[in-house]
Amino acid sequence: MDFELGEELVALRDIARELLAQRWKAESARRALDTPPSRMPAELWAELAEMGWFGAGCSEAGGGSGLGVIGAALLAEEAGRALLPGAMTSTLAGAVALDRNGGAALKAELLPQIIAGTLPVTLAVEEPNGTWGPDRVAMTAQAGDGGLKLSGRKIFVADGSTAGLFLVAVRVGDDVRLVPVAAGAGGMEVVPMQRIDAQDIVELRLDGVQVGVERMVPDAGAAHDAYAVWTVLVAADLLGSAGAVLAMTTAYAKERVQFGRPIGSFQAVSHRLADVQVNVEIGRSLLYAACLALDERRGDAGALVAAAKAFIGETAVDAAEAAVQLHGGIGYTWELDVHLHLRRARANAVTAGDAGWHRETVARHMAHCYA
Amino acid sequence: MDLKFTAAEEAYRLSCREWIAANAHHAAAVAKAADPVQAARDWQRRLWEAGYVGLAWPKAYGGQEASLTEQVIVSEEIARAKLPPLINTIGLSILGPTLVLHASEAQRRRFLPKILAADELWCQGFSEPGAGSDLASLTTRAVQEGNDFVVTGQKLWTSLAPIADWCFLLVRTDPSAPKREGISYLLCDMKTPGITVRPLRNAGGGVHFSEVFFDAVRIPQENLVGELHGGWKIARSTLDHERSGLSGVIAMENSLERLWQQSAAGGEIADAVARQQAAQYWIEVEGLRYLGFRALSDQLAGRQPGASASVGKLFAAKLRQKVARAALDNAGPYACLTKKSPHVVGKGRLVAGYFDSLGYSIGGGTSEIMHNVIAERVLGLPRSTGEA
Repeated sequence: MDFELGEELVALRDIARELLAQRWKAESARRALDTPPSRMPAELWAELAEMGWFGAGCSEAGGGSGLGVIGAALLAEEAGRALLPGAMTSTLAGAVALDRNGGAALKAELLPQIIAGTLPVTLAVEEPNGTWGPDRVAMTAQAGDGGLKLSGRKIFVADGSTAGLFLVAVRVGDDVRLVPVAAGAGGMEVVPMQRIDAQDIVELRLDGVQVGVERMVPDAGAAHDAYAVWTVLVAADLLGSAGAVLAMTTAYAKERVQFGRPIGSFQAVSHRLADVQVNVEIGRSLLYAACLALDERRGDAGALVAAAKAFIGETAVDAAEAAVQLHGGIGYTWELDVHLHLRRARANAVTAGDAGWHRETVARHMAHCYA
Repeated sequence: MDLKFTAAEEAYRLSCREWIAANAHHAAAVAKAADPVQAARDWQRRLWEAGYVGLAWPKAYGGQEASLTEQVIVSEEIARAKLPPLINTIGLSILGPTLVLHASEAQRRRFLPKILAADELWCQGFSEPGAGSDLASLTTRAVQEGNDFVVTGQKLWTSLAPIADWCFLLVRTDPSAPKREGISYLLCDMKTPGITVRPLRNAGGGVHFSEVFFDAVRIPQENLVGELHGGWKIARSTLDHERSGLSGVIAMENSLERLWQQSAAGGEIADAVARQQAAQYWIEVEGLRYLGFRALSDQLAGRQPGASASVGKLFAAKLRQKVARAALDNAGPYACLTKKSPHVVGKGRLVAGYFDSLGYSIGGGTSEIMHNVIAERVLGLPRSTGEA
């Protein structure tokens, strides 16, 4: 047992933080609010691929760097901190999900393209049912002569307007299975949904989209596992956002003088920031535990992922609200970056399950443990 | 970075579990013993002799120099068996780590093994009537006379004072220096003439702490820890140790399980609000557990817990109070009964646990002070108290 980030992970995180701060400015995220969706330039996408980031969470056998879910999560955290468009995190989730659950043929075909950056990928799980997760998936895959036929609607599909591949969750008998569907397949329509932070999310309309039976991801648990990986990466993005607004507000509280003193010397201000710091540290501890539990396929992984997402989602929203309040009037302006984080945190808090939904998963785990 | 246990570590867990199974009846017998204090000392010694006390301490002084994994395993197994806290917990959690860091070699050899074996029980003499959160304003005086310090003053909120053999205390040795620079750290035999202990009844009705009066008490100079007038920095590191570790997690896990059992019927809590609340507490207990893992990893890597320990202390105190209050809320109208009522539920433990929980945001540094520590030492915000 070793609960410290190793040298490789620390280096990855530090490089990511530095590079993203240089390459992506909050101004771009703000501009995207008027011209959605928020997308990164092709050169930046190519540079991230060049750095090998899309394979950070994949095994070495799968062509990745073998850093596991925790490696992918550290990148997602930096994406949240930098307000980077979500495509990197979606692709990380898809890559890790395929690496963990795909059969040899699928992996050999898809992973090299995904890691090389030529095939952005995303998960398509949610449906218009008001809730989250694979358990409520109703879309079916009809078996016919030409293989599987997929019909129905997926919504809240992240980064769907640039994805080259959708990992679509479909119901097959009692199971929910994962089927890779190429963008632009016949019978597919992609309709933008507008997110409050201008992140790219779409509705995916499938009308008899044909997929070969052999394309189905072989592991029957793949949809749930992929969703758990996606969830923990969204949690990491939220943690990065919380860290960013905490740093921003702390810096402001040291500079801003009222009543002849920096406002950070007033306990009404400093204690609220201390509370945010506490929650960020607890959230970070939960995030690392959830990632390691997934990497080691522990029995409590599902509960820890739920715990991390529930806690960090609320922490990030609290942190952004505190940032608006403690900046005062300036915190309520379009020019300051605080609302960009508030928008991202609010949206991600209800992406891949909200806190209440995840607490139900935790409650089921408790019932099991305390039985 | 991993959470895995090797085969050797699993074997260590198994031997720990077997030892506890074979010996737990000694712990259970403490409360019913004719001399409960002696029985509690015997239990700690037994646990220490088996290698389950002082895991992080150097071997030279009776410790184990155990890895993070072994510390985690032992804390998990102790939690699993619901063993009671050890009697010399103040010596183990606060004084021991301080002596390891700051004491002379002779002092370490003299005192550390007896803390582990519970041969000498310790109490802490820090707070005073006029020095609570502003601890550095303490006024208990120590004047050097020959080879002794002569100590006069009053300490307050001293847990275990009536049964303690020794007391570690902060005294003012230089009244003319700035307040943090005139304090020294002394070790005092509680049998020394001039000491009076007066137990205080707390708000919950229990007797856990006392006032301790020092009237010209002579403490030999060899019992000075660190440098003369250098006690404040030492005490500060002591407080950091008091605030870190896994022990609080164990107690809370057990409270949470009781809370669940209390509200669950057929394995599930039917009421959505209560269920969501219990789940939130589970999440927070896990957060605290893994925060503890991170703190222990830091310590094993040679980094001091420092201000980050305040994060855990603050969060844990609040969580403990939420869980205790929820347990009381669950009792509905029965929550108003004393343990003597024929209608009481849970043998009155819920009310006791609730009152008990309120002390955790006061003792060992109030939650208000923890907020200050985090704001100033972690976030680097300007001081709120106007002092350097």
